[in-house]
Amino acid sequence: MTVQMTSAEAPAARASGAPLASGFSDPRRTSVPVLLVFLLPALLVYAGLTAYPAFRTIYDSFFTIEGLERIPVGLSNYAALLQDETFWVAVRNTFIWSFVAPCLDVATGLLLALALYAGVPFARFLRIAWFTPVLLSYVVVAILWMWIYNYDWGVVNVALRAVGLDGWTRSWLGDPNFALASVIVTHAWKWAGFNMVVCLAAIHSLPSEVLEAAELDNCGWGAKLRHIIVPMLKPTLLNLYVLAFIGKMKVFDLVWIMTGGGPLWATETVSTYVYKRAFNWNTFDLGYPSAIATVWFGVVCAAVILLNKAFKSKDRLEY
Amino acid sequence: MAVVQLDKICKRYGGAGPVAVDDVDITIGDGEFMVLLGPSGCGKSTTLRMIAGLEEISSGTLSIDGRIVNHVPAKDRDIAMVFQSYALYPHMTVAENLSFGLKRRRVPAVEIERRVRDAADILGLSSLLERKPHALSGGQRQRVALGRAMVREPMVFLFDEPLSNLDAALRVNTRNELIRQHHRLASTMIYVTHDQVEAMTMGTRICVMNGGKVAQIGAPLDVYWQPADTFVARFLGAPPMNLFTLPVASDGERIGGESVGGPLSRWSEAARGPYVGREAIFGVRAEDLHLSAAAAEGDGGRIRGRVFAVEPLGAETLLAIETEGGVECTARLPRDVTARPGELVELHFAASAGYLFDKATGKAIPADAAVGGVAGRPVLGTMQ
Amino acid sequence: MQAHRQMPRLFGRGALALVIGAYTVYTLGPFLWLATMSVRNTGEISADHYAWPNPWRWEQFRVAWVDSDFATYFWNSALVVVTAVAVVTLVGAAAAHALARYRFRGNRVIYGILFSSIIFPPQITLISLYQILVDYNLYNSLLGLTLVYISLQLPLTVYLLEGFFARIPQDLFDAAKMDGYGDIEIFRRIVLPIGMPAIATTLILNFIQLWNEFLFAVVLITDPEKRTLPIGIRAFMGDHFQDIGMIAAGVMISVIPVILAYAFFSEKLIRGMTAGAVK
Repeated sequence: MTVQMTSAEAPAARASGAPLASGFSDPRRTSVPVLLVFLLPALLVYAGLTAYPAFRTIYDSFFTIEGLERIPVGLSNYAALLQDETFWVAVRNTFIWSFVAPCLDVATGLLLALALYAGVPFARFLRIAWFTPVLLSYVVVAILWMWIYNYDWGVVNVALRAVGLDGWTRSWLGDPNFALASVIVTHAWKWAGFNMVVCLAAIHSLPSEVLEAAELDNCGWGAKLRHIIVPMLKPTLLNLYVLAFIGKMKVFDLVWIMTGGGPLWATETVSTYVYKRAFNWNTFDLGYPSAIATVWFGVVCAAVILLNKAFKSKDRLEY
Repeated sequence: MAVVQLDKICKRYGGAGPVAVDDVDITIGDGEFMVLLGPSGCGKSTTLRMIAGLEEISSGTLSIDGRIVNHVPAKDRDIAMVFQSYALYPHMTVAENLSFGLKRRRVPAVEIERRVRDAADILGLSSLLERKPHALSGGQRQRVALGRAMVREPMVFLFDEPLSNLDAALRVNTRNELIRQHHRLASTMIYVTHDQVEAMTMGTRICVMNGGKVAQIGAPLDVYWQPADTFVARFLGAPPMNLFTLPVASDGERIGGESVGGPLSRWSEAARGPYVGREAIFGVRAEDLHLSAAAAEGDGGRIRGRVFAVEPLGAETLLAIETEGGVECTARLPRDVTARPGELVELHFAASAGYLFDKATGKAIPADAAVGGVAGRPVLGTMQ
Repeated sequence: MQAHRQMPRLFGRGALALVIGAYTVYTLGPFLWLATMSVRNTGEISADHYAWPNPWRWEQFRVAWVDSDFATYFWNSALVVVTAVAVVTLVGAAAAHALARYRFRGNRVIYGILFSSIIFPPQITLISLYQILVDYNLYNSLLGLTLVYISLQLPLTVYLLEGFFARIPQDLFDAAKMDGYGDIEIFRRIVLPIGMPAIATTLILNFIQLWNEFLFAVVLITDPEKRTLPIGIRAFMGDHFQDIGMIAAGVMISVIPVILAYAFFSEKLIRGMTAGAVK
């Protein structure tokens, strides 16, 4: 079959650099200049504002940097890191957050989605209403919940006192034993709607005939959930877990505004600690926080890779 | 006795909404293979799902084995269903798919194993038991779906267009497999399809549905030779029956004119009386048309027209002609027939080959059994 | 046709309603409380934090808007976010198209590099970006912040759009090639129009994330006139620490545009924000 080349194609074929004998230009290949036009802006942005700064931070971690002074200190920043109690408290807090909270997030999202899927009235309204906190900025959420947690007149304590549980009232953000949990609850409040919407979409995408077959196989709601719905949702649920995990490893805004990392580092996270050491410390050294950032970067990458390996489903749920 | 009875079953969506199934009356006897046949949207799948319990019945009664089951949940109706998409559990192996329903019903493990093994043997799945559905071909998945229904040993099997996702060759094989299983199990089976070949070959009886209503129920050949209306007449048979709207002669002896017409000798005076001097629909099947008058055993009718398509199929030839009145007509002729587009031809048919339908309602006007009747033409049976 | 979903039995239905009601109060309650407090002054609030507003002090909104420079914060946020979103979507779409459509050596490597930076914790770039911006005199400038915002959203944009663009059938491109269209024209005339739904959802997602962005804004902007909205609200809260009514009014002002957009575009917003999460 001979291919007639239009006059527009002929130059394109020549320009593409790959001299195919038949003169046919593969639409899936193009010339380097064209590729550059598409890719260069993105690559420049990435190189200049993401890759270079990342490398520079890693590089900086081997220095002590004060203003314009740079003193190479080898690995001493890292050695100091190992001894830094605050750092380890921050790591512990962040890990608690990152591993535990996503379980709650995903479970809540799934349960809420199932409640809507069961066909309650006003399901559309509820879905929109429950999603609202996701859109609010962390600042708004923080202010709202600081008021809710207020010892004297916040919703929580007022409600406890109203039912006579005075003994249970606490300074939710001021008590080192409860501060972390309180902030976690607030964070979950904001994100529950997100997980709910994703789970709901996933449930709706399940083939209805499989669910009907389960009904004919003597499955009530509980059995359908256990044997069919949750197993088939596994990829989505695991994906949500990883997304939540990544998000919590990075958390800064909420903690910073609600507690600033206090009281007594009860809510200190790695993010807040890095910020403090870089911009809020009595010394101006930027090398040490760079070391923290580098270590944390490694930890996050390793954790995500491990999680992905652990969650990789060997069977594709093709349906 | 797994008799399934539908009495005036209706399905209405949303109170006063569109009616999907309208006043359907069907009785399916024990061990019958009943095919619900019709085009998309005719209500056959909805009817099946109402029998299964997957759709609510708006009005009417459904009984299985003498028991009214309108409000009995699907799982308690002792039925099993094979879905169009097979609906296998994608995260379970074949063995788990087969045994899941039984486990949920607390059948003893030994019994489950026996049934699964037997079904796998019969359907040739024994080597596939540890595979997951995504590793199976379409035909294999289909057999697993069938096996899943079989192990339940239900009173009634329901099939929702199970062959439509298979390629042509596989469809023929699986069709025969299903017929074999029906003979082996002797269970009541209700089968939904839009494919008339499946209906004709598999069903002990066919129920043709159109627009939510039952058009006709009967044995395949009865429905074929004595369609109850123009819809059934054209739905069964490929190519579809040729229909002409023609005037009835003033003496009632003939219908049509010189170029397209035939005798009405088979109809009694009473039957054709109302149509004298008015128009009626006349039908002739493609296979009843011949090129020579002799082959049509004389005294029949004729259709004259210009050829516009010749389709040699190897075993036979299809000839499509257009009459002077602009009506298209297809004939099924022996394979040695040659004709050229543009040629003027005359097709002949025997007196016994015509059908008459009311123009307004489309309903068939039955011929008088006593008059006419040709060897080989099946005797008029009772129509339900 | 939806299968008939049997509702749980009566007891289950009651418990379900209770749970749903409670959760709705839990979700919307704080916001309604905020709304009532925003039209009461602090004296009234201190007396009873949960009373119904009486009278409705709408002038608190005017005071908050005028006194606190909210207009400036809005404008700054709008400028930075709209510019950043426009640029990142265009740049990301171009890259996504190239990665999705063309075969070349290093395609998957480049995609992997861009995509994997989604998991980078912000600190790894934060400190250096701070130094870089200072070096280039872009510190404490809206331009600097815009550039950083572009880089923040690039990986996500490329990820979402590459997935969508890859699903556009190759036939369209073959036909366009045969009609003599050049590669860039194809991008303009085929990919952008057809990819509009995905581009829209990416736009929404980027917009919301950047509109609420806090960490980089706090580090890279110090001038009060250059504050973006989240920083502005935070400063406002600091300034009026005990004046709860005023803070509530200020927060309401910042929230109302989002709520309005949500009221009109809830479906698009929801879909945009959850794009890429359903597997």
